[in-house]
Amino acid sequence: MLRIDANPTHEYSGFNLRAGKPLPFGATLLADGGVNFSIYSRFATACELVLFEKHEAEPFATIPFPDEFRIGNVFTLVVFNLDFENIEYGYRMDGPYNPAEGHWFDRTKILMDPYAKVIGGRDIWGKPPDWDNIYPHRSRIFFDDFDWEDDHPLEIPLEDIIIYEMHVRGFTQHPSSGVKYPGTFMGIREKIPYLKELGVNCIELLPIHEFDEFENSRISPITGERLVNYWGYSNVGFFAPKAGFAASGKFGMQTDEVKALIKDLHKNGIEVLLDVVFNHSAEGNENGPYISYRGIDNKTYYMLTPEGYYYNFSGCGNTLNCNNPIVRNMILDCLRSWAADYHVDGFRFDLASILGRDQNGAPMNSPPLLETLAFDPILGKCKLIAEAWDAGGLYQVGVFPSWGRWAEWNGKYRDDMRRFLKGDYGMVDAMVQRLQGSPDLYQWRGTNASVNFTTAHDGFTLMDMVSYNEKHNESNGEGNNDGGDDNESWNCGWEGTTDDVEINRLRRKQVKNAAAMLLVSHGMPMILSGDEMGKTQLGNNNAYCQDNEISWIDWTLPNTNAEIFNFYKKMIAFHNSHTVLRGNKHFQNKDYVGSGYPDISWHGPKAWYMDNSNGEPVIAFLLCGLHARGGTSKDDYIYVAMNMHWESHPFELPKPPEGLSWHVFANTDKLPPEDIWEVGQEVMLEDQSEFVVGPRSVVILVGKVNSL
Amino acid sequence: MEVQTTTSDNVTIVEISGSLDANTAPQAENEILPFIVPKCLLVLDMSKCQYVSSAGLRLLLTIVKRLKTTEGKWGMAGLSEEIMDVMEMTGFSRFFKIYDTVSTAIKAIQEEA
Repeated sequence: MLRIDANPTHEYSGFNLRAGKPLPFGATLLADGGVNFSIYSRFATACELVLFEKHEAEPFATIPFPDEFRIGNVFTLVVFNLDFENIEYGYRMDGPYNPAEGHWFDRTKILMDPYAKVIGGRDIWGKPPDWDNIYPHRSRIFFDDFDWEDDHPLEIPLEDIIIYEMHVRGFTQHPSSGVKYPGTFMGIREKIPYLKELGVNCIELLPIHEFDEFENSRISPITGERLVNYWGYSNVGFFAPKAGFAASGKFGMQTDEVKALIKDLHKNGIEVLLDVVFNHSAEGNENGPYISYRGIDNKTYYMLTPEGYYYNFSGCGNTLNCNNPIVRNMILDCLRSWAADYHVDGFRFDLASILGRDQNGAPMNSPPLLETLAFDPILGKCKLIAEAWDAGGLYQVGVFPSWGRWAEWNGKYRDDMRRFLKGDYGMVDAMVQRLQGSPDLYQWRGTNASVNFTTAHDGFTLMDMVSYNEKHNESNGEGNNDGGDDNESWNCGWEGTTDDVEINRLRRKQVKNAAAMLLVSHGMPMILSGDEMGKTQLGNNNAYCQDNEISWIDWTLPNTNAEIFNFYKKMIAFHNSHTVLRGNKHFQNKDYVGSGYPDISWHGPKAWYMDNSNGEPVIAFLLCGLHARGGTSKDDYIYVAMNMHWESHPFELPKPPEGLSWHVFANTDKLPPEDIWEVGQEVMLEDQSEFVVGPRSVVILVGKVNSL
Repeated sequence: MEVQTTTSDNVTIVEISGSLDANTAPQAENEILPFIVPKCLLVLDMSKCQYVSSAGLRLLLTIVKRLKTTEGKWGMAGLSEEIMDVMEMTGFSRFFKIYDTVSTAIKAIQEEA
């Protein structure tokens, strides 16, 4: 059917135009061949659409928005007959320049569309940019019609996921990866068999939104290498995937490549979480560049002091004004786009506490943004995970406003696990909480509120955590002043790499201890990519700028450190095989199914008696298989003894139910192949009454029908 | 961009030469659609096609989906490595039956028919 509005009403310099629709924001391809442009600015007095041929230095057209095309605070128009695949567009905004009042309008600047779904300018990772480019990050137009067939987000229950935190480029950029397109989304697709072999069912990608790897780029004074923004915690645009992470980025097809990856991962039972960074943008502080928001409506997009300066709760120069209604809607639109258009399974929010600050920076009781995200219909099944703190001193682990929806990176789990692992005294009470899914923090929210992790991208790798007492970030070029100092790490007797056989053995053992503790804890386990193969960053605990072998996964490591890789695979399989390890409600520490055993019971060197009076890092617990999933699932009995003391301790074993006997699944004191067994192939203990747990060791027993 | 058609052993061979992009896709669509008839046998010969853009890939997928509704037999042949790679990266290749040469495509289609 012909539509009346399929025809232009205006003409400007050879371009046919008509009034556009204010929603959706951004550039939308219309069925009649026109492109609908729509952009918000409350304080702009005039706006121009600027059009470039792709990659050209100068624009080929500038089209002012006619006054009659402005609706409310939205400039909108339709342009007909554009070669949409080969153009890039931006805006020029006129308005007041008065920083003290929060206004930074500059009509000479060309500004990227905040709603751009494809962004050009950094199409190939690491390709040196033209620093004189008048418009470095360019909005592009894209046809969003990916064929998902029957794909659907997997909606794996929270209690059943194992998160694998990884960096798109770092995962396959190393020459040893063997993939055809290293460092890309496509590269991850080629490595799906590896993820399946490992057994994880959820990958969490460090930021994949368009960012500028050349932001703050500099030469390392130590290595002479160029340092870049490798991690990407600095968004240029929130709606667009990072072109430089796509093998097809040079053709502008990164959106399809991301979707093809997610579709393939879903086919293989693997979910995708995105690390989203809504706390700040790449425009920095008063000295930063005009990319988009600053020139479109600075006062709306950024939190400003009464004097008009940028608040810096992010530690990165500015703070996005998340609880401004306009910004709130932009964040919601953005997440909806990733959920609906990309079939993403969930999000991890970087420095999420900022999302709970009001427009003056004060923490709110019921932040509207967080509430909106918790109840949004399109995000209704998405996993929402908060990094529940910010760089402004707000620390909300355990109290992040959740509405029963938000989970948290459990920073206390990380800290307590590390202290216990290195043998600190006085940690047993804390461990009782952490192993149970931190009921002290999440009493009413259940175990699914807690993302358990010992390591993450931010900080030491696990192997470095047992190899370094201090950070070694000199190659970052900041005088070793960057990165955290509260690492709670222990080098096992020597700082850094060593040929000492005993120290290396102890380190491997500590890595395995950490893996075992993580995977028997209630809550969602998160593994840092590379930890499963003993990856080192040579003591660098803040490798945000290291686009090199410090950060990249070395694919020879699963062989070199086969002992660690094998242990991880089997521990993950163990976690996946036992529902008793994956309850979504907290233990009640009592028997409520009549099995004669509490759901969880605590032990020590003496069975049924946890003596923490001397503070030794020694603890054991028993899970009753008949209480699995609140008594709705039947599983084995599992007994775990953890001795992080430097001396061995005999543990009296609680007697398993009649007809069952204890079988060893793992004993980190043993060398391979006796350190861990295949699930179902556990070895029956000769002595069912006592087990001598070696120094700094974890033992996992399974109560099964006598196998002899 | 040019579309030329020939027939060989009841198989229609549609040769697309030049660049298939947003500018040329509508013309290609108009010229190819008349051949998509019930139970047609069709080979898309891409050996003279140097470039397929995002819009070009979408046209190819649209053609393939229409072919499916006609119960036609079809294949695609002569793709450059670069175009094959782009199809793979973007997930389009899973929808296409791709053969090395036109003659192997014809043979496969006839056997299928």
